[in-house]
Amino acid sequence: MKKLFYTMIFLLLSVAPLWGAAAKIEVFPSAPYARYIIYESLAIFWLFIISLIVIIKLKLREIARTQKLGINREAAPIPQLE
Amino acid sequence: MNFRRLKNWFTDRYDFSDLVKLAQSKTVPVHSGDFLYYTGGMILFLIGLQFITGMILAFYYVPHPDFAHKSIVEIVTKLHLGWFFRSFHHWGAQLTLLFLFIHLFGTLLVKSYRKPREFIWFTGFILLGILIFFGLSGYLLLWDERALAGVKVATGGVKALPLVGTFLMAFLRGGVDVTGETLTRFYAFHVAVLPLVTLFLIGLHVLLVQYHGMSIPLREEKNNPASIPFFPNVFYHDLIVWLLLLGVTVTLAVFFPPEIGIKADPLAPTPENIKPEWYFLFVFQTLKLFPGEILGLNGEVIAILLIVTAMGLLFLLPLFDKKSSRGEASPLFTWISVGYIAYIVTMTIVGYLS
Repeated sequence: MKKLFYTMIFLLLSVAPLWGAAAKIEVFPSAPYARYIIYESLAIFWLFIISLIVIIKLKLREIARTQKLGINREAAPIPQLE
Repeated sequence: MNFRRLKNWFTDRYDFSDLVKLAQSKTVPVHSGDFLYYTGGMILFLIGLQFITGMILAFYYVPHPDFAHKSIVEIVTKLHLGWFFRSFHHWGAQLTLLFLFIHLFGTLLVKSYRKPREFIWFTGFILLGILIFFGLSGYLLLWDERALAGVKVATGGVKALPLVGTFLMAFLRGGVDVTGETLTRFYAFHVAVLPLVTLFLIGLHVLLVQYHGMSIPLREEKNNPASIPFFPNVFYHDLIVWLLLLGVTVTLAVFFPPEIGIKADPLAPTPENIKPEWYFLFVFQTLKLFPGEILGLNGEVIAILLIVTAMGLLFLLPLFDKKSSRGEASPLFTWISVGYIAYIVTMTIVGYLS
């Protein structure tokens, strides 16, 4: 019992300076629901980015194909019959 | 009014055909080091994001020593998504400087500075200095004790410069010491002076790049590499890189929001173990290497003079490297470049760990 009492006193004394310390400024929402919404939004944001990258990649493949075939260049004007 | 009619309305009044032809004729060489071309676009994209987030923050920030810290705390804790925009602005600045260093080191190693691109190098180098000052001025706006001490160290070093040192320090601080005057001055630099100078220099830099075309590394030049059109091929690759960069910046902003320390007190003693921002660490670490006195001369003055001389030589490097200008290999300058990069990287790491 005595040991426990001294341990408690020691613990209280060792953390006492923390009460006097300035409170840390919250730089990120602390509410669990707000955090959940943020992480969920981040995941959706990454899905959006990945989807856009896939679309651009497909577009690039299409561009490379047309360039390989040479059909991207403008055709010379057709001579007109007088 | 549909898009075609809107387009016709404009083309009836303005002739864009030359601009369209220019965009279509621009080509980009393909070789093993072509990933370096993307770093310039990444910096441009990040600076654009910095302008947007900076404007949002400026709506709520109060540049006064009594309210600056409080206004940032309120942006972060009370404003809807305020924490995110502040964190995004912080990480955007870090990534901009990181990619600027990568862009500079890459240019140095592949010798893109060689004739006739000397002015591209000069404008880029000045831009690096301007953007570092952008970072420093923004750092003080937080007005906490770490920012105050960091700016004291950074602006104090300027004093060691002979002849102009005292004037330059007083000009930057708005007085003898870092006070509320410095905050007002740094705010003016951060939101008015530096953005204008940056826009002008970016415009000039990009214009010069368009004028000279993309540089090809010496070793690749002989192989006569193939080229791909900038639009649409490279433009779409740029978009992919920008999207990834946006994702990384947002993720860093969410997972690592920067801390806010206790409010700055210009009269309080400087706290112990204060370090400047990471992009100043190599200078800070170099200053620590020098003793207080060398042969009766002030060690700090000698260190600052050496750093300024080394940076001046790096700035003028294109004028010294005659061999690469003639299209010949110049291993001496490659080793000098490697030496610069190794020193800056090592000192930054040592400064961070110590």
